[in-house]
Amino acid sequence: MSRLSMTAIMRRSLVHRRARSLSALIALTVSAAVATALLTLYADLDSKLHHEFRSFGANIVITATDSTRGLQPDAMERVRDSAGPDAQAAEFGYAIATTDRGTPVVVAGTDFAAVRRLNSWWKVDAWPADTDTEVALLGQRAAEFVADEHNIQLKFADHAITLHGVGRLHTGGNEDSRIYLPMTAFTAWTGAPPSTIEVQVPGGEARVESAITRIREALPAARVEPVRQLVEGESRIVEKTHALMYGAVLLIALTVAVSVLATLSASVLERRRDFALMKALGGTQSTLMALFLLEALVLALGGVAGGFLIGSAAAWTISQLDFHTATLPRLGVIPVVLLVNVLIAAFAALFPVRVLRGLEPAALLKGE
Amino acid sequence: MESPIDLETRPDCAVIALHGVTREYAGHAGTVCALDHASFSIVAGEWVAITGPSGSGKSTLVNLIGCLDRPTSGELRIDGVDVAAMSATELDRFRADKIGFIFQQFHLIPYLSAVENVMLAQYFHSMTDEKEARTALERVGLGHRAEHLPSELSGGEQQRVCIARALINNPPILLADEPTGNLDAANQKIVAGLLQDLHAHGHTIVMVTHDPEMAALAQRKIALSHGKVFCHPVGGPVISLRK
Repeated sequence: MSRLSMTAIMRRSLVHRRARSLSALIALTVSAAVATALLTLYADLDSKLHHEFRSFGANIVITATDSTRGLQPDAMERVRDSAGPDAQAAEFGYAIATTDRGTPVVVAGTDFAAVRRLNSWWKVDAWPADTDTEVALLGQRAAEFVADEHNIQLKFADHAITLHGVGRLHTGGNEDSRIYLPMTAFTAWTGAPPSTIEVQVPGGEARVESAITRIREALPAARVEPVRQLVEGESRIVEKTHALMYGAVLLIALTVAVSVLATLSASVLERRRDFALMKALGGTQSTLMALFLLEALVLALGGVAGGFLIGSAAAWTISQLDFHTATLPRLGVIPVVLLVNVLIAAFAALFPVRVLRGLEPAALLKGE
Repeated sequence: MESPIDLETRPDCAVIALHGVTREYAGHAGTVCALDHASFSIVAGEWVAITGPSGSGKSTLVNLIGCLDRPTSGELRIDGVDVAAMSATELDRFRADKIGFIFQQFHLIPYLSAVENVMLAQYFHSMTDEKEARTALERVGLGHRAEHLPSELSGGEQQRVCIARALINNPPILLADEPTGNLDAANQKIVAGLLQDLHAHGHTIVMVTHDPEMAALAQRKIALSHGKVFCHPVGGPVISLRK
């Protein structure tokens, strides 16, 4: 090389001690990869978790204050407008009928298509088709109340109806004791209007509360309540997951910092004579520090480059395995990952820098 | 051969001047006095050998003259400048300008080639100039080995690279700490010849040596014993300048 520069000296030094350099680079790549993966997942975490929570069913229940009069006719439309386009809603009407065995049973009229979207956690062996009218979905326990599942005879206030049972429903809850039929058939048979709307609004507690406020304004005559255990449980889980991710990043960063500290310290201790020589040749303290810190910085940057690629791939894989969706690389996490890596390298450099500061060229270079 | 030098009366010619210089170190068992009230001068173009047994203070004296250390008390002037008053940064700069080091253990950077090791001294001084560095290597007979790493050079060749590095910035003082201590007889002869050549060209050489043959090449010996300095010209009577 025709000119000897700091970067040239640094490059030669890193290559000369390739084992140590590689060790530090791997550690910094690991930290960058973990930070990238977690931050990439974190950015999507809320939406993914909330998407998962959607399968738990409704987090808002709207009921008519007067069950005999039910909800106003345009209640569903108002709810859909207020809750937002990504909300899921289904209306229900309830009545108590008698089976052909003389057993009282709760019957519920609903929109099967809407219920299927809302309550994806229901275990149903066969859903009725949208066009079917006089069909029924039998709760697991309700099936024992009827003589023939395929020919269900029910009576409500002297009005009889015969339904064809299509499938069985199992939830482990009250739904298992009910018989569900299409809303049109229910209303025509019982004369009772829908009295309940169940809504699932995606997002955290704040969004749900906001939706509740809007629904209450749209339906002042109805009672609108959150399903507290779901709303608060979802928020707690999301917060705890965030905290867990922060904690994991911090723990891994500390572990990597210790590893890099050991490597950088060994590097400086091995090269004390080299640094002492540079000092003897006129190198100032700041020049030697700059040379050493430049090496640490280059390793940190190298770690970021490799770590971002590996971390993005890991985030994609984890997202596919856990949430069955792809998480694309996010360039926006690079500044944070870079900051994490630079801080790790800076922390790891503290002790070696101290060694450099205390360097005594006279003692290290003496011949005797 | 020069007559015994009256060191107190020639301060104006001195490139190195010590007056009552003491260096003490704090130890577990108390303070250790490595150099005790040393006073002498070295004029430009002189070749002085510093001799003495191990622990006599030779390295301490060399480190002080080389501005790698500061005296605890006393006055030390290099090229007319009182170095004790300098800050650390000023001292680094001063050292790069004034002192060329030749070490017993060579201390070449293992991942830089011979010419790059020479350029390293230029880097910390001002600007690197490869052509100049190659010329310096040619001067010590190693122009053909410029691209070789230290591991590919013999001990004698490494020491010659060290000498080239010491000369590259034209410092007024060459400080050689046991320059032939790690060399075989043949290479000792080569290095000795180089130093003689440098002296003949007017360089000031301060050389620490155990080797009587190397010491005999110098114009004057400064002998140390238990941190105290004794000076005498080559072949002349011992003059004690202890204060």
